[in-house]
Amino acid sequence: MEHLQEEKVSNLQLIKNGIFKENTIFRLVISLCPSIAVTNSVKNGFLLGVAVLFVQTMVNTTVSLLRRFIHPRMRIPIYMLIISGWVTFVDMLMAAYARTAYKEIGLYIQIIVAFASILARAEMFASKNKVVPSFFDGLGSGLGFLVALLIISFFRELLGRGTIIGYTIVQVKPMLIMILPTGGFLVVGLLMGFFNWIDMRFYGGKGAGGAGGH
Amino acid sequence: MNFKDILKMTFNLVALYLAGGLLLAAVYAKTSPVIFRKNAQEKKEALQRMMPAADTIKKLGDWYPHDKDAEYFVAKKDGKTIGYIVQTFGKGYSSYINILFAVNDDFVVQRMDILHHAETPGLGDEIALPYFKKRFKGKDLKHLKVVKTKTDKYVQAITGATISSRAVTEDGIKKGLEFLIKALKKGEVEHGASAGRKG
Repeated sequence: MEHLQEEKVSNLQLIKNGIFKENTIFRLVISLCPSIAVTNSVKNGFLLGVAVLFVQTMVNTTVSLLRRFIHPRMRIPIYMLIISGWVTFVDMLMAAYARTAYKEIGLYIQIIVAFASILARAEMFASKNKVVPSFFDGLGSGLGFLVALLIISFFRELLGRGTIIGYTIVQVKPMLIMILPTGGFLVVGLLMGFFNWIDMRFYGGKGAGGAGGH
Repeated sequence: MNFKDILKMTFNLVALYLAGGLLLAAVYAKTSPVIFRKNAQEKKEALQRMMPAADTIKKLGDWYPHDKDAEYFVAKKDGKTIGYIVQTFGKGYSSYINILFAVNDDFVVQRMDILHHAETPGLGDEIALPYFKKRFKGKDLKHLKVVKTKTDKYVQAITGATISSRAVTEDGIKKGLEFLIKALKKGEVEHGASAGRKG
């Protein structure tokens, strides 16, 4: 089962894998809902990315730790327990002891429960690998998600509001449609096409192979 | 799949969920008093911000929009009523929005604040931004209406978040104000001018 361990895949490679080869949004094509709903400004994209990065890493580690105690047929409900457990835990802790941060990031933490990307990494990797590689796989795919959100939100904020991270670049709002959901579809689609093109042109790949999911 | 398998699966699921539930219960027991205290503190501060001119803010009573516990207050300066503050709830896109608003003694909205909400980040959560809150100043019962086009007369909706804007304006503040006016009228009839005479 633990094939990656035998091949001696380094932790750095695991992180790179999460960012490039198995990028949640552009390669695996999962968790598209948040990538469209929460990327109309760089700040929003960044906050959600950080929240996902943390939860993803924690869930991967926990699933890997408990993998011998999870009945194979019961694994999905148990992954859901672990994800919602972490989300609730962080939510309560921040509400009690980190009010300022909670007001900024609390909303994003709460919506993570339903993310396919977290479940996907737990199922694809953490349930079959040891703790340390699972930790780095979570870190890598969380970083990949964060980077993808930053790229998407950069274009949407620039085109839709004429600002970057709140700083005005152009005075007018050039294309309001970009900060609406429609713009999210357009930007994600065009970027995905662009990365597929790069992959095919320079690396001989076959494009994104994900099955999709929300 | 035989009986033993079913038993194994059931035991596995129950054991892990019980463990998870216990862990969360422990964290909840530890954090909820702190959260409760800080929420109360923030509400007190928010009340003061609603009516900076007032020297006393006194609770008038409770009411129950959407079956939730909300309060309303009278704000006084030198013993004279200068306005009212009402807590209200509006049913938004993905949450009940907990709102606080202040009216003067002519029932014109002065300020509003969002105490709590869980609307979509990037769209609905703009209800808590200053630019949207400012749109309520000077609106009376007749002008608490959401309009999608550019307007100063009514409340202009947030682009991409009409449901959240409506929830705050019509389901929340407008209903709150209607309740306040009704409650004060009833109070005047029942025990004279003492409950809150309209100035």
